[in-house]
Amino acid sequence: MKLKLKIRGKECEVEILEEGEDKVKIRIGEKEFIFGKEEKKGISLIQTSIPKRDFSKKGIKAPIAGVISEIFVKEGDFVKREQKILFLSTMKMENEILSDFDGKVKEILVKKNQEVREEETLIVLE
Amino acid sequence: MPDLEFKIKNFKKISSTNQRAKELANKGVAPWTVIVAEKQIAGYGKEKVPWFSPRGGLYFSIILPKSKIEDLQTLTIISAFIVAKTIKRNFPLEPLIKLPNDILLNGKKVAGVLTENIIGEDVKLSVIGIGLNTNIEKFPKELENKATSLKIELGRGVKVNDEKILKKIVKELKEQLKTISE
Repeated sequence: MKLKLKIRGKECEVEILEEGEDKVKIRIGEKEFIFGKEEKKGISLIQTSIPKRDFSKKGIKAPIAGVISEIFVKEGDFVKREQKILFLSTMKMENEILSDFDGKVKEILVKKNQEVREEETLIVLE
Repeated sequence: MPDLEFKIKNFKKISSTNQRAKELANKGVAPWTVIVAEKQIAGYGKEKVPWFSPRGGLYFSIILPKSKIEDLQTLTIISAFIVAKTIKRNFPLEPLIKLPNDILLNGKKVAGVLTENIIGEDVKLSVIGIGLNTNIEKFPKELENKATSLKIELGRGVKVNDEKILKKIVKELKEQLKTISE
């Protein structure tokens, strides 16, 4: 079933793919979302459509697929929010990635010249 | 009719138009400000590979409005097409796009595109830089077989109007980003 919804003034086409007693699966554009009983509480369509990164964990993730061309921090370093962490080159762009948080670099999960996927965690802070 | 206005800031000689555009964007200079240099001392392309930038070329960077990273990626690919199309429409030349960032004439590089983003929780700053060899008459020996200019390809008597080409490219980029973002 397809529905048209207005989210923040923008008209979106929402397709309901599966409906059961406990869950409902919907597609908005190219993204699919599953809402179960627990998830229903406190989650609105608007919230689920926004986050590109998981802010509950102190992981710095790749905003786009690419290759790590330079890493500016090492494990044990203290970094500040908005400090330059690494360079991520994609086929068409050079991206300077800043830290989302203040914290200590707990783990660097990638190496220079490594290919990474979109949303892959690159560096973990604590 | 979309708003296709933009502002041009001309410089005689700077290290790199992308670098200057990033600095100015950081200071709050408005999107769709175009930084143009007659000469770059430290012009660069992808992975900081130097871009030969003597007087005679068209070197410019545009401060882009905050956009989604996917849209910026699309814009970067489209920009190579826009530059190639502008060359094709205005001169009797057959440009070839070497994806993703370069434009070739007779197998030699005539233009390149480099987008740079600074990304924190979201995209904080984006600039797109374009280097187009318009009126360069001669390249150093080590580049002779790799690079060319519109003037060399058209015959040395021709002079390309940099400002006219610049305006056509920027206008089309603005129009395209607006279409992508919508």
